[in-house]
Amino acid sequence: MTISSIDAALRDNAPTRATEIPAISAVGVSKRYGSVTALDRLTLDIRRGEVFGLLGPNGSGKTTFMRLLAGYLLPSAGRLTVAGLDTVRDSLAVRRRIGYVPESAPLYRQMRVGEFLAFMARLRGLPEPAVAAAVERVVDRLALGAVVNKPTRALSRGYRQRAALAQALIHDPDILILDEPTNGLDPRQIIEMRELIRSLAGHHTVLMSSHVLSEVEKTSDRVAVMLDGRLLGVQVMADTPDLESWFLSLT
Amino acid sequence: MRTLRILFTKELNATLTSPIGYTVAAVFLLVLGYTFSLTLFVTKVANLQYIFHQMYVLSILLVPVLTMRTFAEERRSETLELLLTAPVSELSVVVAKYAATLTLVLGIFALTLIYAAILGRYGEPDWGPIYAGYLALALHASLLVAVGLLMSSITESQVVAAALSIGAFLMLWFADSVSYLLPPPFDSFAINLSLIGHFKPMVSGSVFLSDIGYFVTASMLALFLTTWGLAQR
Repeated sequence: MTISSIDAALRDNAPTRATEIPAISAVGVSKRYGSVTALDRLTLDIRRGEVFGLLGPNGSGKTTFMRLLAGYLLPSAGRLTVAGLDTVRDSLAVRRRIGYVPESAPLYRQMRVGEFLAFMARLRGLPEPAVAAAVERVVDRLALGAVVNKPTRALSRGYRQRAALAQALIHDPDILILDEPTNGLDPRQIIEMRELIRSLAGHHTVLMSSHVLSEVEKTSDRVAVMLDGRLLGVQVMADTPDLESWFLSLT
Repeated sequence: MRTLRILFTKELNATLTSPIGYTVAAVFLLVLGYTFSLTLFVTKVANLQYIFHQMYVLSILLVPVLTMRTFAEERRSETLELLLTAPVSELSVVVAKYAATLTLVLGIFALTLIYAAILGRYGEPDWGPIYAGYLALALHASLLVAVGLLMSSITESQVVAAALSIGAFLMLWFADSVSYLLPPPFDSFAINLSLIGHFKPMVSGSVFLSDIGYFVTASMLALFLTTWGLAQR
């Protein structure tokens, strides 16, 4: 084994230095619905500032893991922490540090885009004087200016996805959880979304899921493969010249 | 408190920007206006007891139309996921929805104060039963809204939520009828569970703490179950 491969193996899967608290840490996390196990003893660390891709077919447990992190679901077993805070015990504190975009990019249909973003800003605890500036910031960043006064129900899929991402960024969270962020977008929108996600790295830790290999390949620093609720492996993208072969070898 | 206010405003706006609230109010007032005029002209008696009884029945049929969307619609459109992953407690979400829907129902009820004003202007009504009647209606509305929210929180279909609510209200209404079939002490339990059994004395002007306690306890129990149900996920 060469020095570089040992180095790569060490970087890969294991956790961050002892002094550094990982952005996300899962230890033996499971989620069961009766006899069905949606997530099976998942153990994983995600470092601060990285873009981490979750790859796997539908039903592999990606969304369940993300919902557990976002506090929408409670784990049946194991311990899940975000910036050292327990997602069950410190649920509200965790939710303040997270921006979450569910797969369907849900928006309140009766609200206009600006109104929706202001509502989410207030809900996420931004003080009243900071709300307008926060809305303006995300509207600029996500190029929503043309639709800010439109009802959300009138938005195209691309704008919906951007508005959903804008609400997740409105409180400038440490961690962003994006469930299938390029789902349903046209090729140009996919490229724009990919660039946007890359631009978020460093300042934010981004956890994104996809069942499309190329999406994860082009956006992530590290990638994990999941199947049937289990984590099959973790790789550093820079050390994975052929993601497809690696994915096939695991699944 | 700020979170509660934000959620309350959002819920109230959602209700006021939807045609459902206005439709319910229109149907409610149309039927009551017809009954009020007809009964007043026929009996020439200055009281509102018959109006209160009609409001009791109409609210059993119409409140579910207002509560059915509260959680079911959020679940169907997946905005519930946004709400419950924001830093807000389940209790705040439930209380905000309850307060907003109850405000709307009480607002519709308040429009019927015009009938009391008409009686006061042209007759000499006994005000005691009228005050007690409105208290009974407010408590009745609280229970219906709380149970309606509970039913809406367990399904993503608005129609199912409305059907479950109406079913629950009818069972509560007729709970005392079952008492004839039950041995003691279950018979008295069934009588005490009856919605009309606690409503009727109040609209006649007899306000008992036990009746107020029934409505308050049942409302709180339904709100507790809704909050608990939301937390089990």
